[in-house]
Amino acid sequence: MVNTEHEIVEKVYAAKTDSRAADALIQQYLGFIRKEAARTVYRTGSSREDEESIAMFAFYEAILSYEKDRGAFLSYAARAIRNRLIDYYRKEKRHRKIISLDTPFQAEDEGIRLMDTLADDTDHFDGYAHREASQQEIREFEKKLEEFGISFSDVADNCPRQKRTFTACIRALEYAREHPELLEQLLRSRKLPVSELSAGSGTDRKTMERHRKYLVAILLAFTNGYEIIRGHLCQIGKGKEEAAI
Amino acid sequence: MKYLVMETHPSYAVLLDQSGRFLKAANLNYHVGDTVTDIIELSPVPDTGQKQLRLLRRITGSLTAAAACFLLLFFGVYRPNFTPYGTVRLQINPDIQMTLSKTERVLDLDALNPDGEALLEGYEYRGKDREQASEELVSRAMDMGYLGEGGIVSITVESDDSSWRQEEEEKSLSQMREKYGRTIIIRTGIMEGETEEPPLQTESDVEIIIDLPTPTPAPQTVTPTPAPVIIPSDDDDDDNEGVIQPGDDDDNGDDWEEVPGDNSGNVPDDDSEDGDDDDRDDDDDGDGDDDDD
Repeated sequence: MVNTEHEIVEKVYAAKTDSRAADALIQQYLGFIRKEAARTVYRTGSSREDEESIAMFAFYEAILSYEKDRGAFLSYAARAIRNRLIDYYRKEKRHRKIISLDTPFQAEDEGIRLMDTLADDTDHFDGYAHREASQQEIREFEKKLEEFGISFSDVADNCPRQKRTFTACIRALEYAREHPELLEQLLRSRKLPVSELSAGSGTDRKTMERHRKYLVAILLAFTNGYEIIRGHLCQIGKGKEEAAI
Repeated sequence: MKYLVMETHPSYAVLLDQSGRFLKAANLNYHVGDTVTDIIELSPVPDTGQKQLRLLRRITGSLTAAAACFLLLFFGVYRPNFTPYGTVRLQINPDIQMTLSKTERVLDLDALNPDGEALLEGYEYRGKDREQASEELVSRAMDMGYLGEGGIVSITVESDDSSWRQEEEEKSLSQMREKYGRTIIIRTGIMEGETEEPPLQTESDVEIIIDLPTPTPAPQTVTPTPAPVIIPSDDDDDDNEGVIQPGDDDDNGDDWEEVPGDNSGNVPDDDSEDGDDDDRDDDDDGDGDDDDD
């Protein structure tokens, strides 16, 4: 028992930084996660799928925040799952009066849901095409990042959380956008031109070193070929334009 | 705010928001390339900075606790037990001074005259309290012949804390009286004839005289002490005034040794029958002389 507990702790610590190890650990404990989720379920109204997703997500959060001195991992994770689900139910309470589209249209009719009776105006083909295109672009972007030895998970972990740091990073990005040769240099040398960026934007060198992965990703997004992503990032530079006006 | 799904894992998805933030959120059946709105974001994980802060807090916390313990030990144990708080001076004739802590532990024992040195020679005071030490010292003085029947022990307590001083004085006085009051005189205040005369020392001259050796009307030189001291004098030693000298003749020692046994029964009679006493004392003296011869 002690041994298995020790093993779990080791795996958890490995999963903190390695997203693949985290996926594997979650796969291994899927049964446990489902069981814990089922214990907390109050009502069957909302979809089971969401609850399971949330439970898995809570398990992942538990992996990230677990420390050895907090007791056994599994009981810690169980509590995390329970808390997340309770949070979720509280949030869902607000929508209780809204009928789910999944509810059957008529009590006798099986298989026909409320959703199916709605008129559908959206161009499904267009939406599908758009999703295909963005998916493809994201895959390319992912490959490009891999050349730098970075994954999206790394970028998310490395993303500045403090507002001040974040705006400093965006300032560096703005400067790079005004000087496209820096972006080319990044693509060519695979190195972040830290000194040029810090001289030009006034962002502290240390800050940039600390958020190197994030900066690489966001700078890469503004190199050629990522129109959809760039279109999505419509809020970048907004503040600056407003200030200019 | 809209989020673009960048990467999906069984337990979470990496999303990109419109301001350029990458974040992890619950994967509610997302696919790469989806644009989603209602997300369940990762609750902030304590990063290294916060961990360091926590560690720092733990360290400062334990330091504070250690300091508190130290202070408690210092003020609760060390100060009252191991730092000098006052002195008690015993003048038998060997003149000695005990340095006491607040809790009456004897911290130091000094002789103030050569006889005192002789008395303290080989005496171990460590770990004893005022009561034990003074008792032992007085009985030691008796054994060594410094203190005889009707001798005087003078107690002087000094301290910056006047209430402590008074209390100690009363305690030691009553303690000594209880123990030796039958044979010797206990009083407070510095003994006359000493070098230092306290200017304002109110001599509360409480004297208990229980048994008197002959108040012989011998025309010895008038004692210089204003205090009504009863002189346990013999015919022989003329010089012996008020104070019992350690270098006394054997007579005195004998006297004193013999007397207590005889006296104990006679104590209550003291005041009423002076004559009797006198007679008997005379006899005693005579015996003593005879023995010697």
